[in-house]
Amino acid sequence: MEPLPPSRDARHEGGKARGTLKGAPRLTLPIAVLLAAFFSPQPAAAQKVRISDLSDVNFGLIANLQTDARRSQNVCVFSQSAGGRYSITATGSGSGSSFALTNGANSLAYEVEWNDQSGQTSGTSLVPAVAVTGRVSAATQQTCNSGPPSTASLIVILRSSSLTQAREGNYSGSLTLVVAAE
Amino acid sequence: MTNRFNTALLAALAASMLLAEPALASTQGSFGSTSTGSVTINASVPGRVRISGLSDVTFSNVDPSVAASNAQNVCVWSNTSTRGYNITATGSGTANAFTLASGALPAVPYTVQWASSSGQTSGTSLASGTALVGQTSSATNQDCSAGPAASASLVVGVSSSTLQSMTAGVTYNGTLTLVVAPE
Repeated sequence: MEPLPPSRDARHEGGKARGTLKGAPRLTLPIAVLLAAFFSPQPAAAQKVRISDLSDVNFGLIANLQTDARRSQNVCVFSQSAGGRYSITATGSGSGSSFALTNGANSLAYEVEWNDQSGQTSGTSLVPAVAVTGRVSAATQQTCNSGPPSTASLIVILRSSSLTQAREGNYSGSLTLVVAAE
Repeated sequence: MTNRFNTALLAALAASMLLAEPALASTQGSFGSTSTGSVTINASVPGRVRISGLSDVTFSNVDPSVAASNAQNVCVWSNTSTRGYNITATGSGTANAFTLASGALPAVPYTVQWASSSGQTSGTSLASGTALVGQTSSATNQDCSAGPAASASLVVGVSSSTLQSMTAGVTYNGTLTLVVAPE
């Protein structure tokens, strides 16, 4: 039904519960806004996450270049999202954010895997700057000070195919991990 | 007369790198709509070399009046910054001498030369047990399966005078061992 133009009386009485039928449209709008605000889901920005307990990855002197070198560590990821859901994006310090170490003159490629359970030595392969979604954290505290002491595994791999072709030297690089709520 | 000996193949691997002290630079994320952490990754790759593509050397029915020589292309790969290496050869004779033997007959000497490029029929003479330093490889792949197909030449020879001292119809054998090390 198309709202009727408010009468002079209705203008005087707008917003009051005792308004007549002519004043009803002026009352339904704020109620609808309130109901929508009450029942709508929380905006994603309100859901927060945190990644902690990260440690540097030191392969040391890799004596055997014929086999893959792999290092895994337990990490704490906390998410306020429903079900503890989060996404993770990794970028390396190599060219174009690639996963590559450098000794100043040469580069050494590595791979990164992520597992949303701790204590794992393999996981989902990460592609630089591409988010892996649908991860779930069991953390009950921001830094895992209580509840599970860690919730995920970060795995860094130097493949033998890269090692056997690598130049002699000390290589280093950084790996950045960005966690976002889902 | 048949003179025959085998060349045995060995590659030496040596690591001499000292590890640099890794920087402790991991950062932890803060509590927010996104959270960012980072780690530093360190790895040290030691100097490594590899020799491959070696073939046995056979001299068959050679003319004793002419010196015999056999040259073969070999792959030597080095991962050092200069692709450098040294090579040491030892024979199976007394005190690692480059000699061939045939039972109780007197051992006979042979010569070994090395060139750090392929396709050569002569090179630097090697002395048993003495490293020839300052060699450089052009190999870009460990076994030369990509890039240059070979990167060095191994030349084995028997002089005419030696051939003339050998007993006809008898097989002489020996083993030549080559050890490559990074430089």
